[in-house]
Amino acid sequence: MFGFEAIIAHDGLGISVIGISIVFVSLILLSLAVSQVHKLIGLWDKRNTYYQRLKKPQKRGDQKIPSDMPVPQDIRRASRQFKLLIEWIGEPFPLPKLLDLSEKCGLSSPHSTINEFIKCKLIIPDDNGYYMWNKQIEEKRSNA
Amino acid sequence: MEDLLIEFLSNTGFALVDYRNIIMLLVGIIIIYLGVAKQYEPLLLVPIGFGILIGNIPVFKDFGLGIYESGSFLNYVYYGVTHDIYPPLIFLGIGALTDFSTMLARPVLMLLGAAAQIGIFTTFLGALAIGFPPNEAASIGIIGGADGPTAIFLTAMLAPRLIGPIAVAAYSYMALVPVIQPPIMRLLTTRKERLIKMEEPREVSKREKIIFPIVGFLLCCFLAPAALPLLGMLFFGNLLKECVVVERLARTARTSLIDIVTILLGVTVGASTQADVFLTRQSIGIFTLGAFSFAIATASGVIFAKIMNLFLRKKINPLIGAAGVSAVPNSARVVQMVGQAEDPTNFLLMHAMAPNISGVIGSAIAAAILWSFMSL
Repeated sequence: MFGFEAIIAHDGLGISVIGISIVFVSLILLSLAVSQVHKLIGLWDKRNTYYQRLKKPQKRGDQKIPSDMPVPQDIRRASRQFKLLIEWIGEPFPLPKLLDLSEKCGLSSPHSTINEFIKCKLIIPDDNGYYMWNKQIEEKRSNA
Repeated sequence: MEDLLIEFLSNTGFALVDYRNIIMLLVGIIIIYLGVAKQYEPLLLVPIGFGILIGNIPVFKDFGLGIYESGSFLNYVYYGVTHDIYPPLIFLGIGALTDFSTMLARPVLMLLGAAAQIGIFTTFLGALAIGFPPNEAASIGIIGGADGPTAIFLTAMLAPRLIGPIAVAAYSYMALVPVIQPPIMRLLTTRKERLIKMEEPREVSKREKIIFPIVGFLLCCFLAPAALPLLGMLFFGNLLKECVVVERLARTARTSLIDIVTILLGVTVGASTQADVFLTRQSIGIFTLGAFSFAIATASGVIFAKIMNLFLRKKINPLIGAAGVSAVPNSARVVQMVGQAEDPTNFLLMHAMAPNISGVIGSAIAAAILWSFMSL
């Protein structure tokens, strides 16, 4: 037998297609595995850090909050409105969301106001990319 | 006394020689010339060439001299070829010699090593089409892997009587890589593509290099268990090299052991090309298909690299696709040579080593697949 007839008779096309597919699959899997090895090594190297983080999860309310910052009068006024918005969003909150909401509500100069809040520590970061309302500053303001 | 002298003379090579011996002796001399004068893979061609001379000295049959006569020295040494002892040992040495860093730094280049194996399966189809039975067609196809030990390994399993022509074809084409590949590479690439400079590969840590042979071995041999003898030894050799703590073993594997096995393999493969076995129509078919296989493998690698460039953000020089045909490190050197002919400041050698080494793995997997299918 010769030609295409011989190829068909011996299932040559099937063997070739499956064969080359297996070669590709093997090397693709190997390349995927190889590409992850250095990442896994990186994770292994930082295992103690991750373990510590898991062992002692940082509570959001645990961090030391400064309470002796002076708060300007106009900021005090604006803070009431912003506090309502923050209560509505819930704590901890993302800063862009507060900004967006304050713009939608038509509050005046939300960018600079929020900036002032951060400067006088009325809004403080929680070290996880979110922010919280500093109740201690607020209480101090009320007592004053 | 006169009769004794006449009998002696009638048993000399001069009396027994026929034209086929002369042809094969000339082939042997040409191969030695290519190895010595042109320095085409001299480590392989010189032993093979001299083996051809040994195998083609006309001797009388049943005197226990020929490689195919049981009990002869050559027959004992040939046992390592017919029973697949030498190829895995060569792979052990290759593993202990090879630095996989460039491949680990950019694993996507391993796909080029897979693409070049298309030549094996295309030639398998071609061999079937011209009338070879499937087992012989598979052995002929593997020449396209450009990997001598792999070709011998598969042929010893599937078509032992073709070991001579297939091994000589595989090693000859491996040696002729600098002649065969450049025209195909230039034909399939534009000047702009040949000028592409690839970015420096990232640094690979020692631990990655140690983990790789273990992961690679487990993954490949779970997928293609028939590749166990070749890939097992390849990855083991590489582990010896990378783990550092067994430097003595690694040094032996990459120097003395591979040298000894290369001598035994080369001489016996050469000697197996006795004129009456070698000079047949089939051998001409095998050499023709071998060249075809090599050309297709080279072209597949280059074309696949061009296809990859359509999707990759960091472009690769398609010339390195040609290195997917194993032939370590000759085809990588050819890539460097062709690349530097266009731009002397372009260094492609280390990039080409990635497909080159993955081509070795790919061709071993292809051989395992063919062996598995033919054994079903």
